[in-house]
Amino acid sequence: MRALKLAGCFALVVGWVALAWILAGSVVPDGLSLPHVDVDSVFGRDLVDRAERYERLRLVLWVLGTLVTLGTLALYARYGRRFTEESAAGPLGTGMLLGMLGLAIVWLTQLPFAVVELWWSRRHDVSEMGYLEAIFGDWVALGVTFVSVCVALLVVMGLARWLGSWWWIPGAAVLTAIATVVVFVGPYVYPGLERPDDPGLVARYERIERAEGLRGIPLRVESVSEQTSQANAFAFGVGPSRRVVLWDTLLDGRFTDREVDVVLAHEIGHHSRDHIAKAIGWFGLFALPGALLLMLSTRRLGGMGSPQAVPLALLVAAAWTLVTMPAQNLVSRRDEAEADWKALQATHDPEAARGLFREFAATSLGDPSPPTWAYLLLETHPTLEQRVAMADAWAARQGG
Amino acid sequence: MRSVSDPTERVHPVRVTVSDDLRRSRITVLFRLLLALPHLVWVSLFGLAAFTLAFVMWLAVLFERRAPASLHGFLAGYTRYTVHLTAYLCLAADPYPSFTGGKPYPVDVEIAPPAIQGRWGAGFRIVLAIPAFLISSTLGGSVALGSAYGGALAGGFGGLTVVVGFLGWFASIARGRMPRGMRDAAVYAIGYGAQTTAYALMLTDRYPDAVPGRVEPSPELPGHPVAITVDDDLRRPRLLVLFRFPLVVPHVLWLTLWFVLVVAAAVAAWLVALVLGRIPRFLHRFIAAFVRACTHLFAFATVVGRQFPGFVGREGGYPIDLTIAPAARQRRLGVLARLVLVVPALLLASAYFGVTIVVAVLCWLVALATGRVPRGMRDLGAASLRYQAQAYGYAFLLTSRYPDSSPALAAPPEAPPALWLEPAEVV
Repeated sequence: MRALKLAGCFALVVGWVALAWILAGSVVPDGLSLPHVDVDSVFGRDLVDRAERYERLRLVLWVLGTLVTLGTLALYARYGRRFTEESAAGPLGTGMLLGMLGLAIVWLTQLPFAVVELWWSRRHDVSEMGYLEAIFGDWVALGVTFVSVCVALLVVMGLARWLGSWWWIPGAAVLTAIATVVVFVGPYVYPGLERPDDPGLVARYERIERAEGLRGIPLRVESVSEQTSQANAFAFGVGPSRRVVLWDTLLDGRFTDREVDVVLAHEIGHHSRDHIAKAIGWFGLFALPGALLLMLSTRRLGGMGSPQAVPLALLVAAAWTLVTMPAQNLVSRRDEAEADWKALQATHDPEAARGLFREFAATSLGDPSPPTWAYLLLETHPTLEQRVAMADAWAARQGG
Repeated sequence: MRSVSDPTERVHPVRVTVSDDLRRSRITVLFRLLLALPHLVWVSLFGLAAFTLAFVMWLAVLFERRAPASLHGFLAGYTRYTVHLTAYLCLAADPYPSFTGGKPYPVDVEIAPPAIQGRWGAGFRIVLAIPAFLISSTLGGSVALGSAYGGALAGGFGGLTVVVGFLGWFASIARGRMPRGMRDAAVYAIGYGAQTTAYALMLTDRYPDAVPGRVEPSPELPGHPVAITVDDDLRRPRLLVLFRFPLVVPHVLWLTLWFVLVVAAAVAAWLVALVLGRIPRFLHRFIAAFVRACTHLFAFATVVGRQFPGFVGREGGYPIDLTIAPAARQRRLGVLARLVLVVPALLLASAYFGVTIVVAVLCWLVALATGRVPRGMRDLGAASLRYQAQAYGYAFLLTSRYPDSSPALAAPPEAPPALWLEPAEVV
């Protein structure tokens, strides 16, 4: 029996590594060396200084916020069990209540940091959101988060009560399946997306789409200009629900058509390289050891089938997320770099890419070269310096 | 179950008494609003004088701590008059009221003589009265407060008494009698309105008492197949109060999905009941669990209930619970016409829903500040939920008994068996 278990665990580890190796594949040439970029000359010393100042406080707030979150969850893990008295909902419902309350307490403790960060963003003209809107708008997001944690706890606790300590294997699979459904359905229920009203933009989008070997992925525009001046775009959905979304701040005249084309090509690049589906795969890969850790850490409290274990599980989940953040961000940065590469291949316009990244630094005040620890821990994208360097590297390869 | 009235509590200085016999003259009911026109003009003038003198009263109480007897008498007369007029307008009573409020009336109010009042409470009276104004305007229990008839009629909908008056008008025209439950609901609203008026006019420093059913004599509430039980304490942990609305989001999603199935089940139940004269037991159980789960959720969401509720509507699973009698035979004609018959009940349920919302907001604020909810508001909220549950139970064919509009929380407990023999029997 023991040998069987060992063999199973070994198979699981081998499968994990194999899948990770498959998911990690990239079209960015191996050994691509990025040339040195003189940040001051590309972005301008003033802008770099402003961006560094802006990012500095945000990093301090992140560090403090993270410490407070972990401290709060530690206290909640210690004392949160007393809230079981406030539930008449049976073990699963009580677990949900404890999960939601834990998140609610964390949200409360994070509120001062969020307000300070908003004040800082408004001071630097990066955000135009009102304080009340930020606080009360967040309540809706909090409700959605509550539902998510309820579903997760329902799956985990239900399986744990049914399967005992082996719940973590099907648990990770079920959570991944749910994530897939959420990713698939998301584009259909995402509010406030409009069709673009510029035929020229649509024509350019379709041309780039064809250049990347895709067809028929809808382009949508999201109106955010009343809340922020930052520019952004994103790709989401899988299979027939795939979408590319541009914020209207990209189309307000600050960016040239060629720069917008780079953005479009980048987002289509995510779809052409199946990054969303791969992200689900990575989610599953990280969920498996995370679930194992949850199972092991809550055994003393009766396992995840017991609502008493939920406060501790929240702490473990937060710590796991923090510990794995560098790895998850590494994966994300690889995908983003690959999408940048695909964009350069599709547009053949490294100059527009350089202009775009310069403009991003100006509108979003992103630090072109953040401190290494912040880069490893927090950055989901390559730094702006690296992105400019990639454009230069691509141009050099083309002999330009 | 906890008793609705606690004999150890002090009697409120403003008490409503009822001697109405429910009979109504069809002809005066038919023209009730027109007949009341002189009163509506007079109450405006009377009110102008009363609210002007209330300022003098305020100063007097602020400095002397006691109201001058003459002013107290005048404002008490005004309050009594508004009680009579409101009762007349919403058909809680039948006789044409006097213009002075001096004569006895079937729905009357007794106001205690002037007493010593605290200066702080007197100084901030108007601010302190805001929650009572909110409840009173939702109940629509006093013409003195303006919202009952002016505001509510102008808005096309409004307080409980407006809906009661509207429905009672049809009932009284048809039957020559006001339904008892509706009359009691109006009397409760009028009583609360009178207490609020008296509090605002400095006649008393006792805060209005929202506990339903505190009138002389107590309102009846006959046994009903859908009844509420309240076995909850008044403490409310602040954290759960603060996040009350996000916490109910999962329940709302769940009950929305469940509702779709319940509608389908209700249609099936309706068809079966038309043929068999009763709904199948499994459908009854399924729908009853849904109504119960909704009541549990509403109780929690409105801070009327303390604990986080379950998802399946289990009987006995929540401190504010519904007992729903098993499926029984129903008249086919009643089943056939259920969708029409339920309309008045749903109208009244919507008025009670408005009451629930105001209670929820106030309970939320009070509980956040003090960690407790006032018993009166808790019981008013529970009574509102009871009526809504009965209305939905009737709509979904759980029972053929019409909802009871009375504001009472529960049927009065039966007299306990005697523990000793009467002397005559001993002999």
